[in-house]
Amino acid sequence: MDPLLYVLDLIVFIGIFGIVSLSLNLEFGFAGLANFGKVAFFLIGAYTYALLSQTGIPFYFCLIASALVSAVFGLLISLPALRLRADYLAIAILAFGEILRLIVKSEDWLAGGDWGVTVARAISIEGASHRVDALINIGLVYFCLLVFFVVIQLLANSPYGRAMRAIREDELAAEVMGKDRTKFKAQALMMGSAMAGVAGALYVQYLHCVLPGMFMPMITFTVWIMVLVGGPGNNWGVLLGAALVQIIERGTNILKDYIRFLPVDPTLLERILSDLQYIAFGILIIIVLLWRPQGLLKESKIRSKVQRLAYDGRRAAKNKGS
Amino acid sequence: MAVNWAQVIFNSAVTGSLYLIGAVGLTLTYGLSKFPNFAHAELITLGAFVGYFVTEQLGLGWPLALLVAFISSGLLGFLCCCGIFQPLARRGSSIIHLMVASIALGFIFRHSIGAIWTWKPLYFTGTGSAFDFGPLRITHLWLWLIFAALALSLAMHLFMMYTKMGKAIRASSSNPGLAQASGIDVDRVIRVTWFIGAGLAAVAGVFRGADTQIWPMTGWDIILPIFAVAILGGIGNFYGAIVSAFIIGLAENVGVVGLMALGVSTTYRIGIAFLILIVTLIVKPQGLAMLFRRA
Repeated sequence: MDPLLYVLDLIVFIGIFGIVSLSLNLEFGFAGLANFGKVAFFLIGAYTYALLSQTGIPFYFCLIASALVSAVFGLLISLPALRLRADYLAIAILAFGEILRLIVKSEDWLAGGDWGVTVARAISIEGASHRVDALINIGLVYFCLLVFFVVIQLLANSPYGRAMRAIREDELAAEVMGKDRTKFKAQALMMGSAMAGVAGALYVQYLHCVLPGMFMPMITFTVWIMVLVGGPGNNWGVLLGAALVQIIERGTNILKDYIRFLPVDPTLLERILSDLQYIAFGILIIIVLLWRPQGLLKESKIRSKVQRLAYDGRRAAKNKGS
Repeated sequence: MAVNWAQVIFNSAVTGSLYLIGAVGLTLTYGLSKFPNFAHAELITLGAFVGYFVTEQLGLGWPLALLVAFISSGLLGFLCCCGIFQPLARRGSSIIHLMVASIALGFIFRHSIGAIWTWKPLYFTGTGSAFDFGPLRITHLWLWLIFAALALSLAMHLFMMYTKMGKAIRASSSNPGLAQASGIDVDRVIRVTWFIGAGLAAVAGVFRGADTQIWPMTGWDIILPIFAVAILGGIGNFYGAIVSAFIIGLAENVGVVGLMALGVSTTYRIGIAFLILIVTLIVKPQGLAMLFRRA
């Protein structure tokens, strides 16, 4: 494969998983929800896109529909699940993801069952080379990423985001201050699911196909690595985490293509390389949890107008005094 | 279509026995350490592979296979507890961090197993043949499985009621602070429980592997019903787990009959456990534990 295409491919994947990790950051980093079924909403977005795009609807409608359908499912699962303790919520959502994969796997009429179906590219130009295709996808993915990033960044610094963080830190205290925890959590889950849905749609249209095997619990786990390594509560951090994890993951795949040049038994290495990669991910996450639980970048401080005014005022007073 | 109900009931007992052996460790460690150990699935898988290694690759007998599987998974559970979960808990990690750590450990084990034994399904050979008993189709393995579950129930009952360690486990599970104040070394109790629980998971893995096939997802394939058993039975409650294991075994087997009658794919049998899990969590998160509370 052409080396430039490897890089473009990597950039697309970083963008897509950047969106998913931002959505988990909203749910876990800000609202403190243990969403262990991220892949479920990724799957819903992907299948919604795949099914709708077959009917010939323009791609932006399909993307919006993916977001909406995922959001609705996010809301539906939140209705019963949010009253539960963190561990019950985690088990319930994880189980939900597994069941969903089971459904798309056994229902052959729905997007081909276990064999999947091909999905049309969102934007395709006649006779475009692979490089141009990848560039178009980069444009599309990073446009979505930018929109979500700005929204979450604004949200995190708004009174709304502060209420969310307050609920994460102490549910009861936040409730006493008049913040409805169930409402905030449901909204976080809904927004996060919508974003994951869009990412799922972008993912399948980029890969040209959709199959149940693409939605293993592994996806949820990699997204958790991105958030925890990068720094929960810090949007730049989770993007950094997404980039790091994707570089390692794609790097291993590229390594597989070149492995025959290494002076070791290639068949054995090829077989165990992806296993080794996941073992390394597991060890990485345990090291982070043990020695740097706040992640690479610390949680971003809240920046608000009031805070800036207070800071300016303090400085002005100091200057007057001296 | 005529349904052989005797067979359905018998199969329920077999399924329930498997889930019981698999879930005991999960429910006990969940009750003591206060978080669900998702790596429990991989402790089951490891047991299956160690059992395979001993019987098929070394050619030794079943009792030895079960023993070696028990000890190796048990040691692994023990090491995870001392090396990772207890240090994390001491550092004040939240329950979410503990759960993520357990998932991470699960991935490490699963892929280590995959790297060693490959991802191709493997089969046990010496699992004995099936025979007919009245209207029932029975294998020796199933009889052994039911026997193992009965023996386990009895042994655990005696252990929990009449030994110092069993009493300490119950005390630490229901009130760790008070247990500590009464002179129980709660950390040690937790470590011992992890050893026993992980070892029992391995036993379930050997039976499951011998009954079907083994691959690195063996444990993950049955993790949903096992979680359902632990939650329906009431977390940390061994007696609840006995009842709920057979309820879920029955629900699955009757459900399969229902699914076939409706013409729906039987792969949804795992969905039945999911349904029970969700309903329990919503309606009565403490599960059947209240049935076994003593006045």
